[in-house]
Amino acid sequence: MPTLTPTLTLTSTDATSDELSFSVTDSLSVTAPSINLGLLVVDTTGANNIIVPANDNKQTWVFVRHTGTSDGTTTTAAHCDIELTGNVAIGTIKPGEWLWFPHCGNGGSTGVQLQAVGSAVQVEYGYWADSTAQ
Amino acid sequence: MATTTATVSISSSDIVPGSPVSISASTTCMKAGLTTGLEKMEMGANTLTTGEGSTSLKLATAAGADGAGKVYLCNKATDNTFYLRLDLHDTIVGRLYAGDWLFIPWSQNDTTNELVIQAINGSCPYEYAIFKEDETRVAGS
Repeated sequence: MPTLTPTLTLTSTDATSDELSFSVTDSLSVTAPSINLGLLVVDTTGANNIIVPANDNKQTWVFVRHTGTSDGTTTTAAHCDIELTGNVAIGTIKPGEWLWFPHCGNGGSTGVQLQAVGSAVQVEYGYWADSTAQ
Repeated sequence: MATTTATVSISSSDIVPGSPVSISASTTCMKAGLTTGLEKMEMGANTLTTGEGSTSLKLATAAGADGAGKVYLCNKATDNTFYLRLDLHDTIVGRLYAGDWLFIPWSQNDTTNELVIQAINGSCPYEYAIFKEDETRVAGS
């Protein structure tokens, strides 16, 4: 199986008097289907922007980054909501922000969708099926 | 205000032969409005047993409504059959197997938007960090 290696580094010199600096790395065994990276202009209707199809008990790793633009060139401050299909909001990303999380339908037949807030947002995204939970 | 930077790299040399994956992104954790850093930070580590069932990692409260937030969670178990299931209230989000981590935005849009974790198949040591906006102060009793 192919291996995907995600690494997170969190740093801050002024959040607390104890400087924050740590890194964590994972090693994921992945399988098809996957999208290594794609671009999507997200509109304001979540159902139009399903980036991970609904699945049952299959785990998928999801990466999404707000490009800071509405179309690749025009700057925007609009947010982009991350939702499970059925409009269950997880959170929102602002220009330049990103997320990384595992999605598992777990019998609920949910997928992952994006919904721009107010006006269109261009994101880049990828997803990889986790071979551990298929 | 604090400046907390989250950087991710995602790489693979063998998903598509001849076309390695190499993704890198960095962001400063900001409040809504993009100019002020998230000032509240909560970090910790604990162990969740299977007998504890669904357990709140972080309650969504009226005091924190509509505030921006970021959540880091890592399953530190070493047995890869032990996983942490993350729910958003009663909706399953996903599973963190041994060594897996996540970093997500979290919006407390209402008080039923709490983060819930559950250890499946065995006890899971975990560590977490939550960066969020300050909450509305509540008068003491």
